[in-house]
Amino acid sequence: MNALPDRYATDELVLAAPGDGRTLAQRLAKRYAARITGAFVVSGREGSFAPLPEDLPPALAEALRSRGIEQLYSHQAQAWKATQSGAHVAIVTPTASGKSLCYTLPVIMAAMTDHAKALYLFPTKALAQDQVAELLELNNAGELGIKAFTFDGDTPGDARQAIRLHGDLVVSNPDMLHQAILPHHTKWAQFFENLRYVVIDEVHTYRGVFGSHVANVIRRLKRVCAFYGVTPQFILCSATIGNPREHAEALIEDTVTAITESGAPTGDQHVLLWNPPVVNPDLGLRASARSQTNRIARLAIKSGMKTLVFAQSRSMVEVLTKYLKDVFDRDPRKPPRIRAYRGGYLPKERRAAERAMRAGSIDGIVSTSALELGVDIGSLDVVVLNGYPGSVAATWQRFGRAGRRQQSALGVLVASSDPLDQYLVRHPEFFQGATPEHARIQPDQPLILLDHIRCAAFELPFNGDETFGTEVATPWLEVLGEEGVLHREGERWEWIADSYPAIAVSLRSVADGNFVVVDRTDGRQTIIAEVDYSAAAVTLYEGAIHMIQSTPYQVERLDWEGRKAYVTRTQVDYYTDAIDYTRLKVLDCFESFRAGAGEAHHGEVHVVRRVPGYKKIRFYSHENIGYGPVNLPDQELHTTAVWWQLHQAILDAAFEQRQQALDGFLGAANALHLVATVAVMAEARDLQKSVGSGDGAWFVSADLTGRGQLRGPDGQPSALAPQAPFTPTVYLYDAFPGGIGHSEPLFQRREDLLVQSISLIERCDCRAGCPACVGPVLAADEQAGDDPMATTPKALALRVLALLVAL
Amino acid sequence: MSALHAKLRQLRTQAGHRQVAVPLATARAGCGVATAKGHTPAGASLSPEVRRLLQRHAQLKHGPTYLASTDRRVPGIELSPGLRYTETRVDWLTPPTLIDTRFARVPPVHHQHLLHFDTETTGLAGGTGTRAFMIGAADWIDGHFRIRQLTITSMAAETAMLRTFATWIGNDSVLVSYNGKCYDAPLLATRYRLARLPNPLAGLVHIDLLHPVRRHWKGQWENCRLATAERQLLGVVREDDLPGAEAPAAWLTYLRGGSANNLRRVAAHNAQDLKSLAGVLLRMAGMAEEPSGTMPTH
Repeated sequence: MNALPDRYATDELVLAAPGDGRTLAQRLAKRYAARITGAFVVSGREGSFAPLPEDLPPALAEALRSRGIEQLYSHQAQAWKATQSGAHVAIVTPTASGKSLCYTLPVIMAAMTDHAKALYLFPTKALAQDQVAELLELNNAGELGIKAFTFDGDTPGDARQAIRLHGDLVVSNPDMLHQAILPHHTKWAQFFENLRYVVIDEVHTYRGVFGSHVANVIRRLKRVCAFYGVTPQFILCSATIGNPREHAEALIEDTVTAITESGAPTGDQHVLLWNPPVVNPDLGLRASARSQTNRIARLAIKSGMKTLVFAQSRSMVEVLTKYLKDVFDRDPRKPPRIRAYRGGYLPKERRAAERAMRAGSIDGIVSTSALELGVDIGSLDVVVLNGYPGSVAATWQRFGRAGRRQQSALGVLVASSDPLDQYLVRHPEFFQGATPEHARIQPDQPLILLDHIRCAAFELPFNGDETFGTEVATPWLEVLGEEGVLHREGERWEWIADSYPAIAVSLRSVADGNFVVVDRTDGRQTIIAEVDYSAAAVTLYEGAIHMIQSTPYQVERLDWEGRKAYVTRTQVDYYTDAIDYTRLKVLDCFESFRAGAGEAHHGEVHVVRRVPGYKKIRFYSHENIGYGPVNLPDQELHTTAVWWQLHQAILDAAFEQRQQALDGFLGAANALHLVATVAVMAEARDLQKSVGSGDGAWFVSADLTGRGQLRGPDGQPSALAPQAPFTPTVYLYDAFPGGIGHSEPLFQRREDLLVQSISLIERCDCRAGCPACVGPVLAADEQAGDDPMATTPKALALRVLALLVAL
Repeated sequence: MSALHAKLRQLRTQAGHRQVAVPLATARAGCGVATAKGHTPAGASLSPEVRRLLQRHAQLKHGPTYLASTDRRVPGIELSPGLRYTETRVDWLTPPTLIDTRFARVPPVHHQHLLHFDTETTGLAGGTGTRAFMIGAADWIDGHFRIRQLTITSMAAETAMLRTFATWIGNDSVLVSYNGKCYDAPLLATRYRLARLPNPLAGLVHIDLLHPVRRHWKGQWENCRLATAERQLLGVVREDDLPGAEAPAAWLTYLRGGSANNLRRVAAHNAQDLKSLAGVLLRMAGMAEEPSGTMPTH
């Protein structure tokens, strides 16, 4: 379709002079009115100020003035007052509102007056680097003599001793605290003995599995602090979420004073919700989000506006980077104007990208969520989201990346064909009026808790009926005792194994062990990237095209046990996309209730995910040009789920054919998943859906026609023998071993979910079904009438749901 | 309890957790026997799937199974509950009054000030979870080589052991070790800190023989371990020596009610290490006095 990338080079929409967000928004809205489903402006705000606090040390006040800071924003002044009163504080204000000064001031004050120490925790190394840079500038300006260091995986061994002894301020991340600092806390004794403040920034990122781990690391930190006789004060910062104070209190398990009103001035923010145009009315197919994102980004960059594009996956980052580079970086002699930024690049490469962005030599950046956080990349004008990031909070967080004080910014959300995207983009009122999501953690999730009690026991012995977090640790200690890693002597449990448990516990993923990508081109042996365990199966299979800064590498060999993928440079005109199947089976049912003519259940399930093969997809045309097989171990998951079942007799009476019932379940699953994701404010990837037999004998996935295809345990299409038992089941499951607490609230709201799903489908504008309700359907189905006995996917899904609704 | 236990086991298996290293000796002991009993969840309703997972789990993960032993003899006198002390004096070389320790960039030391020490620990993992269960120290006293060893037979006795060892160290002690700067001394520093006791090793002169040995013989010997150095320099050949790597299991076996046999072999190994420390030190000190032509040239 877009085979000639410079086809739009003379697009009439390109602004002649560097434009602002408002102008570009207006032009886009005029030209592409049909694609824009929502347009609104978040008005800018005048600043609200307060004088520098009187109890600020004069040298510090002087340093601030020399940096041009004559007064504080109101929230900074509030934070000062609260920290000086000794309270734990949570500061919840938008990106670029001067949040860091809220904690920098009390930390510097304590270091200057009491030689007190502070620990900063940032979720990523990049953020840590930024923060030290900022603090050092203030320090140098006032010659305050504060010694601040970053302590992370890149810190050389010989520097570590000096940091432990002399750092007033140590900037690190939860992973380092977990794996390097706490298990060696005796080496940090002087630091802990004088620890006054623990600053945790970007706490909204500590949710779900990661957040539950981090809450436990904080428990361990507090336990070690207690050993050294200190009770540090916590200062937490967060982007906008629905429950900042509650979340901060859940993380540190203590009372927190929340500061939620920003006093920083902002410019107007224009927001467009963009649905790609219908390109095939017969099939109801829309143009890809990718092509639209590419077009909007190109227009913005050509109009002289600094543009940031967010993509949902690393491979999409690479594809979009390639498209933009094909337009803007055709001359290899000139410095690049387009860059990719994502996890998986080596630190040096990321630092270089950050520097180039701050220096303003980059015009377009394509990033994953890695740039959602406060990495300092200078001012931007336009943010384009290629697909809904999965939460309202993350959407605003990303839009917040654009904005300069005196100038309006533009944010465009380009909907993908993903049903959630389609739902949101067609209901702009939902997006506009939505409260941001609540961040949830479940620190007492059994697997996570056991991991951290294990680590805690290594750090300090447990005594008597000591509690860890909210629970008495004893039963857990007994488990560890039976495993042989702890030894009980009287009332004391001591670590006894010759192992270092923190190494085996990764805060960020379920199973440990990142994969490294090794480039073997021309006999080299260079590590060029890292890939999370969870992503390895779908990105590093043999034959996969792995793109790095839009250079394609082909995976030649995957050493699953050794966690290595060997790749070579290649020249291909396609990329690869893994196909994966999920199969699910009930292990244990906690609770059951009648649901209309059927039943709703809550319990434990066993999930098997398999990647049987991959597709090769040509660049630009996106045609499927082939398949390849993948031979990888199944990934198993034991988790909690909610599911609904209808009995055979009921189904036989309600449907003429079993196929119809399957289609109905598939459609119902689609709608339920959509509604549930929004209802419990989960990230879409943390909550998954499946339709199967209830005993793992078969499962159903949508085929190309949008109809249910029965598949056997091996993932191959199969058919059901007429006399075989038939109990189709729709599941919503928690995508984490043991569950992370999504299924329980869903079970509580099971009736509401059904009612909402029905309303979603009924209110949908489509005739027979579409991705925004029951999933994509075939054109032929569109022709079917409004006959109540119709067998469109939409009608069938409604029939299934109606049977499940309580009368 | 057993329900929680069973559930955790299932969860862990599914989460793909790797196994925590178990000492070799215990790994060879009863496979799966300990875990199989009593932890089968809700009998009849157990699906084949869960059964399979539990079986897989049992093969991978097993608690310690130690046979209670009647051989529980740990030598020495009991200084306090769980703390054993042995002292032997051996005739082993004759040190000059002043030992030329300049090879280690330390001014010559009176032999009375030397304190050779070596710890036996619960592992090599490092961090706050590794401890010494035996501290051996040797010095020259009245022309004899005095070897003193402290062994704990309970965890609770650690503090008493640390206190006792501290009394052996004076302000003018010069420590002698093999890799002690990187291993034994930091480990003891951690243990003193955890016991809330001052670290008696802090600030002392410490001759770590590993480094000068490496400087001289790296590349000439197959490695620079103490066992190699003692064989090359002193002609010592150990018999029935318990490999250092088996020391953690030896103590753990005893702690859990098993035989003390290997623990006694650890003590013998530790004593030989101390003798070799002194021997290597004197040999290297002696070399400095020899004509330079005989010095190794590397």
